[in-house]
Amino acid sequence: MEDLVLQLKNQIIEVLNLEDMTADDIDASAPLFGEGLGLDSIDALELIVLLEREYGIKLSNPTEGKQIFKSIDSIADYVSKNRKK
Amino acid sequence: MKVLSQVQITPSSVILNGKSISASSINGIYREFIGDYPKFFKMDSLCKLGFVAAELLLKNIPIEEKENAAIILFNRNGSLVTDRNYQKTISKEDYFPSPALFVYTLANIVTGEIAIRHKIYGESSFYVLPNPEESTMNEVVRNTFLTSSPSFILTGWVDYDNDEDYLADIKLVTK
Repeated sequence: MEDLVLQLKNQIIEVLNLEDMTADDIDASAPLFGEGLGLDSIDALELIVLLEREYGIKLSNPTEGKQIFKSIDSIADYVSKNRKK
Repeated sequence: MKVLSQVQITPSSVILNGKSISASSINGIYREFIGDYPKFFKMDSLCKLGFVAAELLLKNIPIEEKENAAIILFNRNGSLVTDRNYQKTISKEDYFPSPALFVYTLANIVTGEIAIRHKIYGESSFYVLPNPEESTMNEVVRNTFLTSSPSFILTGWVDYDNDEDYLADIKLVTK
């Protein structure tokens, strides 16, 4: 799981253009939206695309998103249980 | 029209009110003179260019003086660079449309980014012209002064083709 968390951090830094930020700067348990990384709605859409492209996960239920994208830890947990690739 | 201040940014120089200032790139200008707007890094190249150029002219002007200002920009390439980048994400072989790219597939987004940053609520518009024709651009600016009475207008040419070919040549003008 640690490897997956690190991989997700690096992928998120890249796709969301979090300039000047490294994986070490991101607290895996911190909220991604509002506080923490302060991501916005466009970032949320990019995360959905990231899960589909990199892990073959297609989110069919939008209400799931709130729970899945709570933190890097929650994304990693969901990915580990649902990944297709 | 009276020119209050002006800036010209190319890959090799940044000239603010006639004086050359040091900065190595668009990101370099941001880091050296701005640095407090993380959303900058999410912008496309055209927006980054327009944003840093506008910032150099507007950052020391009080908010209340900017509220009624107008933004009128022009270029030749529109948002073509981002249009192409977005197109790569919707190829038949690799279809993962990027929302972050899609939101920048309009040239006038740069006027919105500047308006949001500086809380400018006046008219904003973006024109695509074959060349930077002074007479056409001045006519648009003059008409804006006549029709909406802005306190001043941020106007000029903001065009981005690639890292070696871009130009922001903008100014603040009053009637």
